[in-house]
Amino acid sequence: MSRNRDRLVRLDDSHRILSQQECDAIAERVFRLAQGGGETRVRIGSWWQGELRWGRNRVSLASDRRDVFLNVTRGLPFGPHGGCSTNQFDDVSVEAVVRAAERQRARSNQPPPAAYLPKLPKLDLPNTAIWSDASYGATTETRGELARTIVDSAEAKGMLSAGYAEVRAASYAELSSAIRAGEPADYENPYTAWTQAQCSMTVRDPQGTGSGWAGHSSYDWSKIDGAALADQALDKCLRSRNPVGLEPGRYTVILEPQAVADFMEALIAQIWLGRTWAEGGNGPFFLTVDSALGVARTKLGLKIADERISLSHDYADPALGVVPELGMGTSPISWIDHGVLTELSYSRDYALHELGESYGARTPAGYRMSGGTTTQDEMIQSTKRGLLVTRFSNISMLDPRSLLSTGLTRDGLWLIENGKITKPVKNFRFTESPLFMLNSIEQLGPAVPVFRATDLQGGSGRLTPAIVPSLKVRDFSFTSLVDAV
Amino acid sequence: MTVSRRDFVKIGAAAATLAALPRPLRADSGRAQSLSHGMADPERRSLAMRALDAATGAGAVYADVRLTHNWTRFLYDKDFMDGESMEVGVRALVQGYWGFASGPVWSPDEMARLGREAVHQAKTNALGKSRVVNLAPAPAVQNGSWVMPVEIDPFEISPFEIMDYLRGLGIFTGNVKHGASLRASEAFFTKQEKAFASSEGSYCTQKLYTGSGKLVTNLERDGRNDSRAVDLLTVASVGWELFTGQPLRDAIRQAIETSERDLKLPVKPVDVGRYDTVVDALGVSGLLDDTLGRATELDRALGYEANAGGTSYINAPLDMLGSYSAGSPLLNVTGDRSAKGGASTVKWDDEGVTPDEFTLVKDGVLSDFQTTRESARWLESYYSRGNHPVRSHGCANADSAINAPIQHAPNLVMRPGREALDFESLIAGLENGLAITQLQTDMDFQHLNGLGLGRIYEVKKGKIASIIGGGGVLFRAPELWKGMHALGGSASTRRFGYYAAKGEPSQKTCHSVTAAPAAFKQLTLIDPERKA
Repeated sequence: MSRNRDRLVRLDDSHRILSQQECDAIAERVFRLAQGGGETRVRIGSWWQGELRWGRNRVSLASDRRDVFLNVTRGLPFGPHGGCSTNQFDDVSVEAVVRAAERQRARSNQPPPAAYLPKLPKLDLPNTAIWSDASYGATTETRGELARTIVDSAEAKGMLSAGYAEVRAASYAELSSAIRAGEPADYENPYTAWTQAQCSMTVRDPQGTGSGWAGHSSYDWSKIDGAALADQALDKCLRSRNPVGLEPGRYTVILEPQAVADFMEALIAQIWLGRTWAEGGNGPFFLTVDSALGVARTKLGLKIADERISLSHDYADPALGVVPELGMGTSPISWIDHGVLTELSYSRDYALHELGESYGARTPAGYRMSGGTTTQDEMIQSTKRGLLVTRFSNISMLDPRSLLSTGLTRDGLWLIENGKITKPVKNFRFTESPLFMLNSIEQLGPAVPVFRATDLQGGSGRLTPAIVPSLKVRDFSFTSLVDAV
Repeated sequence: MTVSRRDFVKIGAAAATLAALPRPLRADSGRAQSLSHGMADPERRSLAMRALDAATGAGAVYADVRLTHNWTRFLYDKDFMDGESMEVGVRALVQGYWGFASGPVWSPDEMARLGREAVHQAKTNALGKSRVVNLAPAPAVQNGSWVMPVEIDPFEISPFEIMDYLRGLGIFTGNVKHGASLRASEAFFTKQEKAFASSEGSYCTQKLYTGSGKLVTNLERDGRNDSRAVDLLTVASVGWELFTGQPLRDAIRQAIETSERDLKLPVKPVDVGRYDTVVDALGVSGLLDDTLGRATELDRALGYEANAGGTSYINAPLDMLGSYSAGSPLLNVTGDRSAKGGASTVKWDDEGVTPDEFTLVKDGVLSDFQTTRESARWLESYYSRGNHPVRSHGCANADSAINAPIQHAPNLVMRPGREALDFESLIAGLENGLAITQLQTDMDFQHLNGLGLGRIYEVKKGKIASIIGGGGVLFRAPELWKGMHALGGSASTRRFGYYAAKGEPSQKTCHSVTAAPAAFKQLTLIDPERKA
């Protein structure tokens, strides 16, 4: 082959994501290729996933996939920037991407940054639980064995299992030529590698009258008990068969932790968008300044939830490992403290200019919600008439001012009468706000880790652990019957 | 560029001058210069063969490989972003179990590794209970080569020309009327060179394009705003002519005029009840896509997607084919991946199958499903009853070789009505009821029950009388289509492009849906924000 291909990335069984040394070497090659001065910034990422998918009690696909990513930005101090991306690391490709970034820089219409932030002081990244050898080492044999256990339990009862198990490792580094040369630039994101794992399944009866789901996600494959999940999903499926239709209306609900977590996303998203956004009057949103309503301040400092509710994150919590966000404070953070909204995310830029602080406030990529001690059985026993909800699906927001949302119950809904589960119920569409949920709490269960899809917030493929309690909530609004199973 | 850029940009201030340079001096910056080394045949072909040899050598009874080279360009009025990537994915079948391995490296050693890895993945799971995969026959495509016909390759013209064009539309919109503006103007283009080879002797290469855009107009009157998206720019298999070949300025002017009309209409609260309803072509295409479009995916109907997007209300395919009443006799739906410009159009699918045009619903009766080579066999007993050959409809697809191909939606086409009706004449034929534009549907996990939100008008004596403030409609898919009693004619038919996600891990592809405006009986009008 005529082209210089000797710099191809080597990926094999023992080497599935890029190492720090490889990222440094790639960055050095890019820096040397830059022409015309100014900053060269490279973002280098890589990921590997081992996956197993099954349907109708048989594995339908087992896969091993990986990819790499290189984004090069060329910029002049206080001048225009241009950027370009590729996944090819050979000399020809790397030079081409640098030149493309330079061509784009020369004609950018983007306003340049007004000023650089002071250089980020060298910061010890928090010691946080984000890498698991068990995840990286989980082979296709391991996953296959687990899947066979899972489908066998469903098949033995004449049910159909469909599900997905995945282990993942990823790396990211953002490196700057200017930082290395002592020129203006504010930060580098040092090489970070992390792992993820998830397993979830849906068990249905062949007639399609019942459906049960269970799932779990963690950075650590060994924390996922697939067999226990299989039991849960099967049990829910068997007990959910032949549901009866109930009249829509307001019901006392016992929301399992997964349902609470599903519903919390709307509020989490607002905290994620943060202070700059809330104060900027970016439309009528719950937390924001709202000139149309004469609301001149954000909800920061106001009580927005039941005082038993707190929402926090601590890097030291081994169940809440997240990839550290650069330029953000590393001490424990509390977004909601005993019902009071105490913090919204903000950038380092905001911290320096608006608050005179050195670091920003991180996003709720991972969070712990406070819980209580009431068991699910106790919640049921104390309920005269109500519904037990496994999880929600298809949630969409109707009114951003109140976070009023609509969505569906899915994979297990039961009627509770006089302290006992009496029958499975057909699914409902609900119309409700998570804030109503957080202000109508009767009882709280212990907070436990839940399944959280990594692409819910930010779509970055980073870790998003959540620890959430079950809640017993009064007057939850179900607006129409949905006879889908 | 003739001026030494190095000299020029060393001085930061000079960059500002550069931005003010007249166009001709920038002319050279246009053509896309490939970011990657790229590769053409015969090298690419030999890589593909290397992967197949490794897979069959390791024990695969069937293997295929795809090599994709992708270019993306996203532009808005101020800037643009380019991306380029290359991928290879190998799929192997061993004793009824599929394995897949993919990565970004195009080298002979990596091909061999991926071929062996795909087999390893399959073999590990073949330890379990028996599973039968009997691929529907597909003639091998030997040395196929196809370039999708687009008029203007968007990667061959200057991105700055496109940015200028978008800015020009913004200026135009501002001049249409006082208070008019363009809230968003974006363009997104992709180009993909794809090679496919299989152990059955196929080798074919394709160059594929998609183009899409977003133009959102806004009209402000007395502190009230009305925004609407110009609906000519949904994703399609086209080039830059998506913008230059369509009457965008007329569409912008019309959107502003509609906004002006709507801002003058009285706004009425929701009067909950059941109403006959006319839906425009965009809304009908969305309804078709979100109901029958998803429900006739065979893998979904059989439960393979249960843990992802869900299942289907058409849940017993073999019992329902040929007899299930999916809608009124007016309802005829076909699928195809061959129509020029269709967003999922290809010459060969990701299993090397030449897609055919097939009928999903005939005169209201369910007559087929969307299939791949594996899933077509699941309908063998139905096909043999009707003396139809067992063949894939060519719906195997994935956005790049990093993802394993699964069954994705083809282009869907709803046959128009016989009479020369359109949205306006359907409204004129409605004594009292509703008319809906800008419809967005929100379906359940069997695509059975839906909530539709959009601009809902009250129709009185055949005329739009008011806007229903904050209304929504509830419907069940089978009753919706059975209640379709009038359908626009061929002149009112429009094609729209949609993205749809499927699978675990989730992957996204695009397809087109062609539909005419239609009138439906008795949809339920609700106030979606009213709690129980």
